[in-house]
Amino acid sequence: MRRLIPAVSALLLLTGPLTAQGTPVDSAVHLLNRAAWGPRPGDGERVAAQGITAWIDAQLAPQRLDDQRAERFVGRYRTLAQSPEALLRVYDESRRANRARQRAGDTARGPDRPPAGIALVTLDLQQATIARAMLSERQLYEVLVDVWTNHFNVFLGKNINRALTTDYIASAIRPNALGRFEDLLLATARHPAMLVYLDNAQSVAAGAVRPRQGRRRAAQPARAPRGINENYARELLELHTLGVDGGYTQDDVIAVARILTGWSLDPGSRARFAYRAWAHDTDAKQVMGQEFRAGGGEDEGVALLRWLADHPSTMRHVSAKLCARFVADEPPDGCIDAGVHAWERSGGNIAAVVRAILLSPEFWAPEHRANKIKTPFEFLVSAARALDAVPDTTFALARQLARLGQPLFLCTPPTGYPERMESWISSSALFDRFNLALGIAAGRMPGLVMQLDRTLDQATVEAGILQGRASPTTRETLASATADLRPGERRVMLVGLALGSPEFQRQ
Amino acid sequence: MDRRVFVRAGSLALLSLGLDPIFLDRAAYATARRTGRKTLVCIFQRGAVDGLNMIVPHGDPFYHRARPRIAVRNALDLDGYFGLHPSMAPLLPFWQAGTLGIVHAAGSPARTRSHFDAQDFMESGTPEDKTTEDGWLNRHLVATQPTDHDREHIDTPFRGVAMGTQLPRILRGTAPALAIGNLQTFGVRGRGAAGDRISQAFESMYAGGASGIVASSSAEGFEAMRMLRAADMGRYGPRAGVEYPRSTFGQSMERIARLIKADLGTEIAFADVGGWDTHVNQGASDGQLAARLRDFASGLAAFVHDLGERMADIVILTMSEFGRTVAENGSIGTDHGRATAMMVLGGGTRGGMHGRWPGLDPANLADGRDLAVTTDFRDLFGEVLVKHLGTTDLQQVFPAFAADSQRWVGAL
Repeated sequence: MRRLIPAVSALLLLTGPLTAQGTPVDSAVHLLNRAAWGPRPGDGERVAAQGITAWIDAQLAPQRLDDQRAERFVGRYRTLAQSPEALLRVYDESRRANRARQRAGDTARGPDRPPAGIALVTLDLQQATIARAMLSERQLYEVLVDVWTNHFNVFLGKNINRALTTDYIASAIRPNALGRFEDLLLATARHPAMLVYLDNAQSVAAGAVRPRQGRRRAAQPARAPRGINENYARELLELHTLGVDGGYTQDDVIAVARILTGWSLDPGSRARFAYRAWAHDTDAKQVMGQEFRAGGGEDEGVALLRWLADHPSTMRHVSAKLCARFVADEPPDGCIDAGVHAWERSGGNIAAVVRAILLSPEFWAPEHRANKIKTPFEFLVSAARALDAVPDTTFALARQLARLGQPLFLCTPPTGYPERMESWISSSALFDRFNLALGIAAGRMPGLVMQLDRTLDQATVEAGILQGRASPTTRETLASATADLRPGERRVMLVGLALGSPEFQRQ
Repeated sequence: MDRRVFVRAGSLALLSLGLDPIFLDRAAYATARRTGRKTLVCIFQRGAVDGLNMIVPHGDPFYHRARPRIAVRNALDLDGYFGLHPSMAPLLPFWQAGTLGIVHAAGSPARTRSHFDAQDFMESGTPEDKTTEDGWLNRHLVATQPTDHDREHIDTPFRGVAMGTQLPRILRGTAPALAIGNLQTFGVRGRGAAGDRISQAFESMYAGGASGIVASSSAEGFEAMRMLRAADMGRYGPRAGVEYPRSTFGQSMERIARLIKADLGTEIAFADVGGWDTHVNQGASDGQLAARLRDFASGLAAFVHDLGERMADIVILTMSEFGRTVAENGSIGTDHGRATAMMVLGGGTRGGMHGRWPGLDPANLADGRDLAVTTDFRDLFGEVLVKHLGTTDLQQVFPAFAADSQRWVGAL
C-alpha cells in the first residue's frame, strides 16, 4: 500500500468517498468495530454523515456527550457508589459469615440464593462494565477504559481486592483513561488494589523494622515483611512502561523495588495509600543510569514513575499496544510511529495518541479492516448492539462472559487478557460462540432484553449484522438453511447463524 | 498459518457415493483407532513453581539457611538428600515403585525472569527467539505426521488436545490440535434434525468463508464433536475407588483419562495448572504452596490409578517456566528465579533423581541468587519425545538446538 502522510489521509477522510477502500459507511463501520463496541443498527450511516474525524473528536471529549441513559442504568448497581472502606466492611462480614457457615457444615452453594455480600460487589462491577460498553454514548472512552483495565491488570480474586477493585476502576482507571499517561501510571501505582495485587504493599527495605505501637507487641511478629519484594517493580518495567525489551536488567528491577519500598496501604483503613517512611530504603540507587541520591523518600518513587512514563521505550511499547488493539495483532510501524510522535508532541496525552493512531493510514488500510478477531467481551457486546438489545437487571451477562473465558477483573497473570487472535480461537471457543449466537437469536439467552425486528430478512441481516461483508458461502448457507422454515423460525435462524458466522467474529 | 485439513480426502470420496457424511466420518474413525498408541501428557505449572519446596534438597546445608521461615522441615525423604513436600505424599508410592523420575535444576537457558517471556520460550521451544510462531508439541505432531495413505495411522482431531477453552501456545501450529473444556457439552447444542441443520450450516460457513486457524478450528471441532457423540464418553468415568480432586486441574486430568480410555487417538494431551507465583506468605509444610501441591499431586496420582495398566503406554511430563529465588524474600515468599524441578511419571520411566545438582552454595548460584540450570529443558523434552513417542527429527521440533543424546539425563 502507498503510505500517505497523516495530514493527507485526514483530508481524504474529511472529503468523503474513499473509493479504493469502500464507501463512507464502510469506513464508519470499520471505525465503530474498533473505536467502539460495534455498530448498532443505523450507526454506520449516522457516523458517515457526521464525518469520521468529527466523530473521533467528539468521542475524545466524552464529558460533552450526553450519557444519561447509561448512567441511569448503571445507577442500579449500588455497590459502585460505595466507598472502599464500606466495601471492605462487606468483605470482612462475608468472610466471617462464610467461615461460620463452613464450621456449621453448610456447604450448599445455593445458586438460587440472590447474590449478596462481597459476591454482589463483584457482580455489580462486572455487570456495570458490560452495561456501559453496551449502552454508553461515550464508546471510545469505554473502549479505553477496557484497554487500561487490561494494561494495568489487577486480579479481583486476590484477598481484599474483592473490595478494592471497584474503587481502582472508578478512581485510578476511569478518570485518567483519556488523560495523561503519567497520571494514569501514578494513579495505578499508588492504588491499594495494585499494591496488593503485585505485592508492593509488602516490600520493605532490608533490615527495616516497623516501629513499635504501644506496648502490646513487644516482638516483631514472625510474619512481618523483612525485605524487598520484586513483583511490582518487574511488572512495572516489563508490562506497564518500558516493555520486556525496553533496556532494563535484573539490577534495575531490584533498584526500582528499593525505590518503591514504603509504598503501601494505610494499616488502619487498608483502603488508602500510605507511604511508610520506616520501610523505605534510603540508600542511593541507580536505574538505567539514572541516579537516585541517598536520603530520598516518597518523592523518589514519584520521580521514577514520571521518568518511566516519559521514556522513549515506554512511548513505543504503549503505542504498539494501542495499535495492537486498534489496528492489527502485529501492529505495523507506521501507526506505532504516529502514536509515538503524538506522545512526544502532547507530553503523553492519551487522547492525542489515540487520535493519531485512528487517523493513521495504517488504521484505514484495506488489509487492516476486518482483520482482527473479537475477544469474547467484544463478541458479546457487539452482538447485543447489532440487535439493539439492552441488558436486563440480572447478572446473566457477567456470568455468560465468564463462561466464554473472559471473566472480567479475574485475569490472574499481570499481562491482562491477550489481544491476539490465536488466544481466542479454538474449537471449543467457536462452539461456545455458535451456541451463544443461537441462544441470543432465539431469545433464550438470559440477560438481554430484545425484540427481533419483524421485518428482518436475509437481505437486512446481511446488510446489518454482517455489515455487507458476507462471503458467497455464508449467503448461500443462510439461504439454504432457512428456506423451508416458517417466518418466525426463519428470523431466529438467520440471526443466529449470522452472529455465529466467521464474518461476525471479525472486527 | 494454514493447517493441513485432515481426513477430508477420505470422507469426500465416500460422500460422492451419496452417503451421509456424518455416518461416514464415524466409520472412517472406527477403522482409524489404534490400540496401544503411546500418549504423552504434559502439565504446565504456570506461574513458576518453587522447585526447592516441591522437591526439597534437605541434605543441602544452604537450603535451611536461605529459608529461615519457609524451609520445609518434614519432607518425605527420597534418597537421603532430596525429599518430597509432604503435600506430595500421593506420589510417594510411584517413587517407591520406580516409575517417578525427577529432574532437578532443569530450566531454560534464557535468563529472562518474565513469566510471559519464559512461558513463551518454553512453549515455542526456542529460548530467546520470539519470532517462532508454533509450539514444540505441535512441531512434534508435524514431524511425525502419518501419511494420508496409511489408514492405520490416520490422523484424528484428538491427536493433540489441550484441556480448556484456549489452545495454548505449545500446541499451536500447522498440525491439527484441539482445545476442549467439557467433554459432555462440547459441540453445537441441539440434537436431531434441528441440531444437524445448525451444525451443517456452521460447518459449511466456516469451511467456505473462513481461513487459517478460524477455519481449521471449526473443521477439527466438528469432527471431534461427531467422534465424541459416537464414543459415548459417559462410559469412561473413573474406575471404582479413584477420586480426582474437584479442582480445575483434577477435572482436566479426569477428562484426559476419559479421552485416552475412549481410544480417540490422543498422542499429546496438555493441561495447565496455576497458582505457583508465591511472592508472599507461601508457607512451608502448610500454607499456600502446600495446598497447590496437594491438588497437583492428588490429580496426578488419581490419573495414574485410574489408568492402571494403561500407564505402560503413557508418560506424564511436568514443567514450569522457571523456579524461584533460593532465599526467601522480605514477605515470606520467593521471587522469580531460574531452575526448577520437573517430573517424569509413567510407562518406561526410570525412577530416581536425574540430572546434575549444582547445589545451593552461594558460590554456585546463577547471578549469585538462583538455582543454576544444569538441564536444558529441550534436552529433557527431546529425550521424552524420542524414547516415548519415537520422534526421529528433533531438529524440526527444537530448531537451532543441537540435540545430543549424551546430554540426556536418562529419565526413560
